[in-house]
Amino acid sequence: MLLVVTYSRAARTTLRNVRRTHESAVVRELGRAALFEETELGAFLALRLRAKHGDDVQIERTQPFNEFAAVREAVRDAAEAYEDREAASTPYVKFAAGTDHPDPDSMRGTDL
Amino acid sequence: MRVIVDGRSYEGRVIDLTGTDVSAATAVESVGATDPPIHVDCPVPGDAHEHVRRLPPETFDRRAALAAAARALGHASPARSALDEARSELADLSAPSVDVDAARRRVAETGEKEERLRERVAELRGRLQARREIDADTTAVEAQLNEATSRLAEAETERIAAEQALERAEAVARDARDSRERRLELEDRVANREREIRRDLAAAVWDRFRAAIRSVPGTATVGAAPGTYDGDRVTAALAVARLAPLDAPVVVDGLDRIDGAEAAASILEAPVIYIG
Repeated sequence: MLLVVTYSRAARTTLRNVRRTHESAVVRELGRAALFEETELGAFLALRLRAKHGDDVQIERTQPFNEFAAVREAVRDAAEAYEDREAASTPYVKFAAGTDHPDPDSMRGTDL
Repeated sequence: MRVIVDGRSYEGRVIDLTGTDVSAATAVESVGATDPPIHVDCPVPGDAHEHVRRLPPETFDRRAALAAAARALGHASPARSALDEARSELADLSAPSVDVDAARRRVAETGEKEERLRERVAELRGRLQARREIDADTTAVEAQLNEATSRLAEAETERIAAEQALERAEAVARDARDSRERRLELEDRVANREREIRRDLAAAVWDRFRAAIRSVPGTATVGAAPGTYDGDRVTAALAVARLAPLDAPVVVDGLDRIDGAEAAASILEAPVIYIG
């Protein structure tokens, strides 16, 4: 899908108008952003916004996130285990210390 | 005030142009203009005048008109300084422009070129193989393959460089979006403060507005709370014209509910140019 984010009041207004007139090409509305269908019409609408508002319009191409394909098991396990922790106040760093769970710094430095 | 039409001069606080061929649009356009179609000698119109310069008005924003009238009467809103602050911060904020377009285009072009050359290399390899199988001369094809292979290597390097340049440009664009984000916040804040100020100012003259509504022709009801108005825009505009301090004339154009120029001036408590 195409994620369109706006960064000015004028661009936001145009986005709102586009959503209203081309409901079928818009998959989701998220305030000043929207997900457009990945079709030529979706791209056309996104590009029209950019032609009108320049850098105030950000267009990203998105795809569904498959954690089983994109993320190593240790990270998935760590997320589950942390959400299962006993004390809600335990910060993750402390939770991960002395276990096999990855520490935040190593995760930060590793691209998916 | 003095108005000159076809060499004839009209003077006074009330000028009746019934019987001349001056249209309301011409009269409105002439009030306060530097190069007017007809000569109108009058004080410079203020912001409140803008809303009621022609009655009936073509469009009428009641809240904005009331705010302008309140301002003309000397009212101010406590939100004013917050608005000024947000406006000045907004003016100081510059969102850098980043040319990611060119970088994107280069990635697409170098990628396409690489793809074309890759196909060409595959095709030449196939041809070479076929010639070898029938023991034909391969010298020419080998030379072509060598050339295509080295051009492919170059294209690959170009594509990688283009991708790196795009990554850098996108990182800069991401940072620039932080200031765009901030600018949007400020734009919203300015708009909110402006609304708040309009609300405050309209509230400041609400009682005068209620009283004015009772003194102008028309059926409208005004509640005690600011903003509670039920009636047509013409009545509201007449009331605003009455309560606002107006130095420049209001052009009254064929308002059935007002009978003549003098009546208009006394209802509106303002200088009037009356068009029959």
